[in-house]
Amino acid sequence: MHEGCRERLRTWLARAAGEESLAILSAERLSGGAIQQNWGLVVRRDDGAEERWVLRTDNPATLEVSHGRTQEFALLRAAHAAGVSVPEPLFACDDAGVIGAPFLVMRRVEGIASAHRVVKWDDVGGGRERAARAMGRELARIHRIRPPREDLAFLGEPPGDPCHAFCEAQERALDAAAPHPILEWGLRHLRRTAPPPVPAVLCHNDFRTGNILWTERGLAAVLDWEFAAWGDPHADLGWLCARCWRFGNLAMEAGGVGPRTGLYAGYVEGGGDPPDPTRVAWWELAAHLRWATIALAQGERHLSGREPSLELALTPHIVPELEWHIVRDVAARERTGEAVA
Amino acid sequence: MTQILERPDAAELIEIARATVLDELLPALPETHRLAARMVANALGIAKRMLDVEGVRLAGLEARAAAVVGEGEEPWRALCALIRSGAADPGCERHDTVAGLLADLARLRCETSAPKTLAGG
Repeated sequence: MHEGCRERLRTWLARAAGEESLAILSAERLSGGAIQQNWGLVVRRDDGAEERWVLRTDNPATLEVSHGRTQEFALLRAAHAAGVSVPEPLFACDDAGVIGAPFLVMRRVEGIASAHRVVKWDDVGGGRERAARAMGRELARIHRIRPPREDLAFLGEPPGDPCHAFCEAQERALDAAAPHPILEWGLRHLRRTAPPPVPAVLCHNDFRTGNILWTERGLAAVLDWEFAAWGDPHADLGWLCARCWRFGNLAMEAGGVGPRTGLYAGYVEGGGDPPDPTRVAWWELAAHLRWATIALAQGERHLSGREPSLELALTPHIVPELEWHIVRDVAARERTGEAVA
Repeated sequence: MTQILERPDAAELIEIARATVLDELLPALPETHRLAARMVANALGIAKRMLDVEGVRLAGLEARAAAVVGEGEEPWRALCALIRSGAADPGCERHDTVAGLLADLARLRCETSAPKTLAGG
């Protein structure tokens, strides 16, 4: 962050905080975030106290399905108020003139998110069973946020049939890409076997290992709310448990972190209805399809020339692995009768 | 490939470039740049495997797709439309043919992009 940008940011933050001499002591780019940029700030407030904040802003090209920073700020506030473990949201700025793009600022929470470290860490969150239960409780709290909500009006009308809406969105995503018959195969199976509608709740939509901060004591924070939307609560459970998000630790079905039974128990402890395993299984297959179409969209950011990046260029090469599991999962579900409408 | 072009050929050059990244550059790099080096090696590995795919296998799969959907210029796109229409659903005459074709296609695509997946079953 160059000097002029940093001074504009300081001035804006000082005004937002109502503290004229608020100072930015340091600003460092944090790792992670293919879609967003995160900056770690150390600030000194007027009373002399030093605080650690995180500034979150957009990369040059963002996925169309992700929310802007001021909308993410509203989601964080709603989640914070509902008792979800999130970094405390502090300020949001929709003026691109300050640092070049809209941004939000939140209090920094310490912990480990790195998926490959977390899945190998037996003491994660106080132990795998406790960690799984903690994730279940957090999801239950998130899912207590229900429409209508004026503060979340930007999410639009909740879908009458979340599974149907998901299939429609995936069809549009596939229509925008080169032909992928295996993904079509998975999508067709999902359409044919979609469970009946349920009332929509707030879904995080990227609740997975890598987006959760852990300490050895517990779950510290749920991050990355940019995909949140009204939907079927089982979508979050399926996304977390999907094989593609276990980071190689397949036996720990809840995100490679802990047992699925612990997740479901925590979900009920947190006030959620007992999860329906059939619905979760549908959403686990759906997770593979959704991750595949996101990967294709990320690859397109590179291919379009808008954002040349080796990381983005490699992302679509995840798709064949997802397809491999889709083919096998569909075949298994057809054998056991899940394909019967 | 014609022998009139000099060797090492594209695949051979990619192979030695990848080995150099992994064996010589990676150990010498600071932690901040190791991920990028691993991505370079990964990209070169995929590129090498894509070059190694025999054209006859690709053509064979495409011919099978064309046989399912009938004559046309874009058999894969037509196959997508056919699947979406429900004409290859369980119980339909073409279901097993399409399922077999897609299983073979999945294997070929994994061979190039994600060979470890095949090893893992």
